[in-house]
Amino acid sequence: MLMTLSYLLLAGLTNGSVYGLIALSLSVIYSASRVINFAQGEFVMLGAMSAVLFLVTLALPWPVALVAVIVVSVVVALGLDHGIYRPLVRRKAEPLTIMIGTLAGAIVIYGSAFLIWGPEPRFVPPVLSLAPIRLGFLISNAQQLSLIVLFFGFLALTWFILYRTRFGLSVRATGVDPKVALLMGIRSERIVQFTFIYSAAMSGIAGMMIGPLLGAHVSMGILITVKGFMAAILGGLGSPFAAAAGGLAIGMLEALMAGYGTSLYAEPAIFVLILMVLIVRPYGLLGDYEAERR
Amino acid sequence: MAHSRHIEAPRAPTLLPVAVFIALGALLPLLLSSGFHVRLAMLIWIYAILCMGFNLLYGFTGQISLGLPAFYAIGAYGFGMLQTMLGFPPLLAFAGTLAIVALLSLLIGLPLLRLRTHYLAMATLAFMLIQNGVANRWIGFTGGQSGIAVPPLEWAGETLGRTEIYYVVLVMASLTLLLHDFLIRSHIGRAMQAIRDDETAAQALGIRVTRYKLRILVVSGVLAGVAGVCFGITSLRVDPSLSEFHVLVSVLTIVVMGGLGTRFGPIVGSVIVVLLPQFLTSFGAFETVIYGVFILVFLLFMPHGLSGLFERRRWSLRRRSSPQADAQAREMRRSAE
Repeated sequence: MLMTLSYLLLAGLTNGSVYGLIALSLSVIYSASRVINFAQGEFVMLGAMSAVLFLVTLALPWPVALVAVIVVSVVVALGLDHGIYRPLVRRKAEPLTIMIGTLAGAIVIYGSAFLIWGPEPRFVPPVLSLAPIRLGFLISNAQQLSLIVLFFGFLALTWFILYRTRFGLSVRATGVDPKVALLMGIRSERIVQFTFIYSAAMSGIAGMMIGPLLGAHVSMGILITVKGFMAAILGGLGSPFAAAAGGLAIGMLEALMAGYGTSLYAEPAIFVLILMVLIVRPYGLLGDYEAERR
Repeated sequence: MAHSRHIEAPRAPTLLPVAVFIALGALLPLLLSSGFHVRLAMLIWIYAILCMGFNLLYGFTGQISLGLPAFYAIGAYGFGMLQTMLGFPPLLAFAGTLAIVALLSLLIGLPLLRLRTHYLAMATLAFMLIQNGVANRWIGFTGGQSGIAVPPLEWAGETLGRTEIYYVVLVMASLTLLLHDFLIRSHIGRAMQAIRDDETAAQALGIRVTRYKLRILVVSGVLAGVAGVCFGITSLRVDPSLSEFHVLVSVLTIVVMGGLGTRFGPIVGSVIVVLLPQFLTSFGAFETVIYGVFILVFLLFMPHGLSGLFERRRWSLRRRSSPQADAQAREMRRSAE
């Protein structure tokens, strides 16, 4: 009984780490630019699919492959920033139009990946061993544990950058008011570019690590974006850490529903739950009044 | 708002272009010889109905529901299931389907429309993915991958032929077009555009913002349901592919290419998106990339879309030719100086 529960919680923690990383990425971009990046999940897909390319097709050792995955994510993120975000902002498009722009970006990334890799799901080779590790009565493996470590590592790194460096101060200032930040000598566009690159690298690495556990598929991106966003609004979109906590919560809930009910109802049930949370607390469980601000 | 997709709708436009579109639609079966072409024409109207709802919501009110394909699918499923499972006659099934779709939009919109618009966009997208998942996996109820059959329409004991069904779809599309046009031209349309341009200002002018948003969301959901019913009666089969991601991509492409917030954008866009794959061979694999690029290019360089090209010119011509407006413009220029 207790064993099933803790086993489910561990599985939930693993999936929750991925959702949490996406929620963190979405929230970091959002807090600097007020834009929801619909293409965020595509970076997870790119991470997983290009890991297959580098690890299997090109047979590179994993540290090289990791760097290559990061390079791919960063290049695509730069494309997103320079091809979609900046031109739209310079044309004074509204946030909603920019959001549709990022969705179009997601469509292009998905379509290109479909052309390259086709519709079949791919097996992503694990970087770390899948051999069972005993933690008390829990059985896990290094790959699974590495995801959880990665999540908390990135959480700490994000906190450090945002709250303990001068650069982080300018990121937060840009989020409060880009125009005033610009007057203070902060290059807002560079800051936004940084958030795009940072989030893309985070999601790309997450994709490479979750690939062996979930399987990789070119159409996996949009569902991950949506779950990451669900996580972010459950916690509170305005704060990266509240959003990340929402990710863990969604992962756990999903695992528990799938374990004790059926996986068919897990997603609808979580969706209804989030709608109810939004009625009671429109700004997320841990969020501030952020959501209503325009 | 410089780069706004906003074209001011004409105050008293003629209904002539609407009549022209409907007349063209009515003449079309006489010109088309093969059944395949009639089917394409039906598909154009179906997409036009779906996208007019989206245009009202996004183009005119500035709210996004990315879940319209889910309502489209629910419309088709509901129409089939109410007839086969509960034995409803077609008209009652049609009304019942619309009621279901309206109720669902209401339930989703109620908690979300008070928040910023991206909440609505993401939540409706989630709704679409969930609906698709349920349609795929709840095999006992929805028939899973293979879907369900929709009973063919009958009139006086005889099954309707392809051309008759085309006219049924055309009637639906014409009604939708008239509703679309009426909403845009009435005080409701002006309230919608006020909400789109500045919510706070709209509220200050006495527009009940949330109520209007909710109503338009329900209207768009219902129109998607109508499109779904039309799809059901034309193809006689419904499967989960109706609410897959590529439908959403098509809808966005149609609305952005045709022109957001224009009178005839959805129709122009539907014609292109339905006919384009027919002219380009080996279009299939590239479809998603091409549509994505189209959306981007139009968002960046032609935010008013194809329909905006001629609609905007005509409107500005009309404004220029009106002496009253001329005087007003001169007045404003003088006071600016």
